Amino acid sequence: MNVVVDTIAPRLLGPSLMVAAAIIVKGYTDVGDGFSAGVIVALAISLRYITLGPELTERSLPILRYAPVATSVGMLIALGFGFAGVVAGEPPFTHHPGPGDDVVKIGTLELITAVGFDIGLFLLVTGALVTLVHHLAHLVEEVGP
Amino acid sequence: MASAVAGFAACLAGRIAGGGSVDLEWAPTLDMRLELAFDGLAALYALLATGIGALVFAYGAGYLPLHLRHQGRSKRDARRFWPWMVLFMAAMVGLACALDLVLLFVLFDITAIASYFLIGFDRERREARGAALMAMLVTGIGAVALLIGAVLLYAEYGTFSIPELFARAEADGTTVAAAALIAVAALAKSAQVPLHFWLPRAMAAPTPVSAYLHSAAMVAAGVLVLGRIHPLLALDDRVLDGLLVVGLASIVVGSLLGLAHDELKQILAHSTISQYGYVVALYGMGGATAAGAAAFYVVAHAIAKSALFMTAGAVTEATGESRLSRLGGLWRRMPALAVASGVAAATLAALPLTLGFFKDELFFAAAVDAGPPVAAMAVVAAALTFAYIGRFWLGIFAGRPGAEPSRVPALLVAPVAVLAAVALAGGLVVAPFARLAEAAGAVTHGAPVVVDPAYHLAASAENLMALGAYALGALILAAPRAREVVVAAVARAGDVVGPRRIYGTSLAALNRWSDALHGAEVRDLRNSIAAVLVPTGVLVAVAFIVTPTEGVYQVGEIHHDDAPIVVLLILSVAAAVTVARDDGRVRPVLALSVLGFALAAAYAILGAPDVALVAVVVESVVTLAFIGVYSRLPSTEPVELVPPRRRRRPSRNVIAGIVAGITSFVAIWAALSRTSVAGGDAAEQIERTPSAHGGDVVTVTLADFRGLDTMVEITVLAVAIVGVASLLRRGRSW
Repeated sequence: MNVVVDTIAPRLLGPSLMVAAAIIVKGYTDVGDGFSAGVIVALAISLRYITLGPELTERSLPILRYAPVATSVGMLIALGFGFAGVVAGEPPFTHHPGPGDDVVKIGTLELITAVGFDIGLFLLVTGALVTLVHHLAHLVEEVGP
Repeated sequence: MASAVAGFAACLAGRIAGGGSVDLEWAPTLDMRLELAFDGLAALYALLATGIGALVFAYGAGYLPLHLRHQGRSKRDARRFWPWMVLFMAAMVGLACALDLVLLFVLFDITAIASYFLIGFDRERREARGAALMAMLVTGIGAVALLIGAVLLYAEYGTFSIPELFARAEADGTTVAAAALIAVAALAKSAQVPLHFWLPRAMAAPTPVSAYLHSAAMVAAGVLVLGRIHPLLALDDRVLDGLLVVGLASIVVGSLLGLAHDELKQILAHSTISQYGYVVALYGMGGATAAGAAAFYVVAHAIAKSALFMTAGAVTEATGESRLSRLGGLWRRMPALAVASGVAAATLAALPLTLGFFKDELFFAAAVDAGPPVAAMAVVAAALTFAYIGRFWLGIFAGRPGAEPSRVPALLVAPVAVLAAVALAGGLVVAPFARLAEAAGAVTHGAPVVVDPAYHLAASAENLMALGAYALGALILAAPRAREVVVAAVARAGDVVGPRRIYGTSLAALNRWSDALHGAEVRDLRNSIAAVLVPTGVLVAVAFIVTPTEGVYQVGEIHHDDAPIVVLLILSVAAAVTVARDDGRVRPVLALSVLGFALAAAYAILGAPDVALVAVVVESVVTLAFIGVYSRLPSTEPVELVPPRRRRRPSRNVIAGIVAGITSFVAIWAALSRTSVAGGDAAEQIERTPSAHGGDVVTVTLADFRGLDTMVEITVLAVAIVGVASLLRRGRSW
């Protein structure tokens, strides 16, 4: 494999996590959402899979083991933010705080339900794509090159 | 079983209470209603469906364990039987009550689906699967005609409701065509010539299914629809004449083939074709007498036919034989069954003292009203019926002893006895059945109908015709040699030119055609791509040809500010040409990513940062995927396997490329010439974005306005992961 890729791939994960975090934290005020953030992180991880191979990647990043868990948790979070209001008789995906109300802000991060939904979305997308890459990579390993 | 009895009780109660109706909106935007009414016609068919259903279910409870044991299957397979039977019954009751054409269509198809699974219950047997598919295709395609008819009527009169249609319908071309289409669907369901061939094949089903399908469900659904929409059919005499011809043809073809067959269930299946031919012919005659007679006929036939099917099943269970030529003399060994089925056969043959006598009396009366040719046909039809059912019963129970019977459970005989008792009771006290038929006939005819059958010991036309039919039938029975020559000739003719052959040929041709198309599509990558691009291009081109193009194509101006975009687009074009022309491995991939990133940059400049972000991400994925694939390839090409110069088919490739390219170019140009912000949703979302505490419309739309859509999409993603894990890695989550 190309020297350039070999050098860049391991070092790309940090910046890509940073970009993903930025995309989520800046919330609603600017471009991008949980989906793009998730794909960016998954991209950096799959680049590692390609350069280092599945064994080494998963040994160096044991946290990847929890990708299926992240998928399920993300799903639950998204469902929770989307449908919790249904119990109280609201239509699904009702926005809290409502239009015109004050929003708690931490920096640019706005604490509103839709952002919570976005975080669930991010977890699900990242987890699902990493799981997919894992399965495909191991299938290739099993079948052989 | 319990559900069937409860349903029967409920229907009986409903009948006594005088009926009722329900009218709920089901899909209001499409103007569909859940319009149900328990009127005379509904009462008749619902009582049949539940009453015969109860007996068939009882019979099935005795039959199915034996059936499964014979086939070496586990008892749990019964779980794939009863739910479909209950659904079958429920759909039939619903169909009887439905007053809305769309509802009628839906329930019509539910009976088809239930019958598909029931006919194909013995799914290990090839002919059972083929028969199930055939029944499904013939009646299902027929049902499409019903839907088309319904839509035509809706377009004309603005309603799907049958009573409202009666009030509004006029005898114009569209209405008559729609009524004829609905009649075609009904005739396919009732297995009338020339769409009768599926029914004998459907005998692959277990006997309880056959008994039910032939007497009170599925096949009865066809004549039920005819009875329900009869006033629409009666708008035009040509439709009625068509029904009459189809009905009479079915009687003759069904009877002759019934005489030809040796297998018990085949004889009965062809008898069903013939018997429903009577009903269809009665509907074709039109008028009050015929409407009442048709309703009465359905009841009498259902009782007799279900009893006869259960007889055939019981005999086959007892002896292991299903062919008439191997059976005989069973009346000594199975006297109860012999007597009970004798009554049922007498009912079908219209002998006095049974309910069946009156069905023919009414049929003859209606035939006399319709004129001498029809009356003569009626006598011949009744004689043929007498002959084939006499051959059936005598062949099993009389004559030289054939296969030895073993003991069968009482549950296989009792339902036959109950039905025979009903048929006998009806032969003595016919009034309750006559009232039922009157109420049903009144719905069909649209005016009160008198059904008043009775024994008249006089030389009336009906009695003379009946006597003539008995005599002629006995003659046919007594001359087996001549009979066999005739029916064998008819059966051979049917095999050579019959509709079943057309069905088989067309199905095989369709299969071959589909295989050939699929083979061509997946032969190589080029064809796979062309299969998407070329049809799309052609369809878009057709759309452009038929839509007006005036003022759609505008050539804009290029300003100095546009220079970056122009540069990026030139870069894209150069990259695209490289992708297409370069023979290497890495260069085309790199050119592809150049193309993608250049376009992403163009989006960013044009003020669509969201699209640009997505484009960048997608480009990265694509490039990465290529790198991943190339990293698995061997680094050197094997020397001995240097491929010959790539075979080029420039003409085809170029044509496909030009078609796809030009049409997409034209489509995009047209879209760009009309860059107005669309009203409606998009404008409202832009306006409301600040109230959702957001600054970016796309983000807010994805996570808030269209949050539910996003939720569904990510659910699909999660499901896809489960699918990949189970397909590739045997369900391991990691």
